[in-house]
Amino acid sequence: MRRRSLRKPYITIIEELIKFALSVFLLSVLVFTLARLAPGDPLYAYYGERVEKMSGQEQEAARERLGLDKPIPVQYMRWAKGAAHGDFGISYQYKRDVKEVIAGRIGNTLLLGGLGFVMIFILALFLGLFCAWREDKRADRVVCRIGTLTSCIPDFWLSLLLILVFSVWLGWLPSSGAYSVGAEKGFADRVRHLILPLAVVVLGHLWYYAYLVRNRLLEETRADYVLLARMKGLSGKQVLYRHCLRNVMPSYLSMMAIAFPHILGGTYVAETVFSYPGIGTLAYESARYQDYNLLMVVSLMTGILVILGNMFAKILNERIDPRMRLKREAQKEEVRGF
Amino acid sequence: MKKRFPRLSLIILAAIAAGCLACGCFATKDPAYMDLANSNVAPCRTFLFGTDAMGRDIFAMIWYGGRISLLIGFLATLISTAIAVLVGSISGYAPPWADGAVMRITDLVLSVPGLLLTVFLQAVLGGESCYRLAVVIGLTSWMSMAKVVRTEVLQLKNTDYVLAARCLGGGFFHILCRHLAPNFVASLLFMAVMNVRNAIVAESTLSFMGIGLPVEVVSWGSMLSLSENALLSRSWWMILIPGAFLVTTLFCLTNLGNYMRKSVNKRHSNL
Repeated sequence: MRRRSLRKPYITIIEELIKFALSVFLLSVLVFTLARLAPGDPLYAYYGERVEKMSGQEQEAARERLGLDKPIPVQYMRWAKGAAHGDFGISYQYKRDVKEVIAGRIGNTLLLGGLGFVMIFILALFLGLFCAWREDKRADRVVCRIGTLTSCIPDFWLSLLLILVFSVWLGWLPSSGAYSVGAEKGFADRVRHLILPLAVVVLGHLWYYAYLVRNRLLEETRADYVLLARMKGLSGKQVLYRHCLRNVMPSYLSMMAIAFPHILGGTYVAETVFSYPGIGTLAYESARYQDYNLLMVVSLMTGILVILGNMFAKILNERIDPRMRLKREAQKEEVRGF
Repeated sequence: MKKRFPRLSLIILAAIAAGCLACGCFATKDPAYMDLANSNVAPCRTFLFGTDAMGRDIFAMIWYGGRISLLIGFLATLISTAIAVLVGSISGYAPPWADGAVMRITDLVLSVPGLLLTVFLQAVLGGESCYRLAVVIGLTSWMSMAKVVRTEVLQLKNTDYVLAARCLGGGFFHILCRHLAPNFVASLLFMAVMNVRNAIVAESTLSFMGIGLPVEVVSWGSMLSLSENALLSRSWWMILIPGAFLVTTLFCLTNLGNYMRKSVNKRHSNL
């Protein structure tokens, strides 16, 4: 077998870059075509109900002005030319530059999704360790039951439940928005508005990852090296932390790299229910009301995040554990040989 | 790790399913009838679970709506499983270049925001009925399953019995049905049960967001789409009761699915 894995690293980087550019291009074509093939009139996004009162000629003129009268490939070329120069067009609904609309909201989503991601990252590790240490004892079983239950609750219903309990019944926390009107700068106010959406984001994903950590750790504890480490006198806890956890970390890290775009993109339900001004609500609105330019940018952003996450995970894996790369190359050879 | 059969989950699930099927016998009120004189009534003797903002009886709606929700769950899973098996096994069985192409396409579909895909399909198919919604959900949820099937097929196709079947002139579908499918059906079963769960979640979320079933078509999700009003009027029963049924069903399905998953470890821990 040829050792293809010993290629120069810069070739791999160039290869990955080409793959990335190609994926982004295909994604943009796909989203562009999908959005335009869907029935529905973008003029409604721009003019609202007034469209019905417009004459046919006026509608034609408006379409021409927005560049919607040309065939799809021509429209795409035009869009791509603009995008290459950093001009993504205007949002039909907000009648402002798409970049402005997004810039006003991306901070909120990054705060919600980013904080959620960090909390999930840490809590999942702790919960997984705890359950693996207490395997099949009562504590483990109770945590597993509760965890499974939380993973079964749909995000939107959890949001409703939290609003019902903490805003309507107890009146402790606000039920919508990112800050109270007139108190845009207050830190405490901001935190109070963040608690409930954050709880939804974290609880919605937490158990999935914690359970994975738990199962990976359980697999590790059955390995022979654990027996050896125990025999030379390490305590069970020491083995778990020093050896098992360290062996689990690479796969956990790469998993979390893939999870990042999912968690960031999964905030849209929480954002919608809590009327939290973020990208998720924008994505939902733009897809529903044919706000093409906005939709393109939002979709490309999430798509690029997904692609980057996957790529990062792969590179991380191969960096930490070179055997992974060898294995992949070997698999390729094997499949070719078949 | 011992795995006990989740008897309780199965019983509860069966009870809910039976209740939904036989609801004509005991839920005597019409779930679509809007009794405007009795809207927003809290649970009482005549309206066991209360009524919603449009005066519909929630007790009847739960059972009739459950029919729709469960139906969508199963239909969508049937569709997505069929696509996943087909795509996954073709991709796993085909020569590497075709395999690579199919997997790239799957990855591409995965990186399109699911919301956009759903809205697009909804708009194309016109998702006013539950069958169309099931198709939409099925068409957007086959990707991860296809990947599992593909890995299984990749492992299986190098075995001697597949080679033997090929030497005897067995075609692709013959080998798929007789040799490959029986081997990956176990790992598929777990994913299928989880897909039922995810489809029910998708239905309720979409209906709640206003891009699934309309309010007139009663399902657990569309019942909850009225909950914004319910929050304002503090009508907890409109939110808690349908949600409780939904979560119970999902929880039981998950327990069942976890039982079906191949138990990974039968050895004892060395710790």
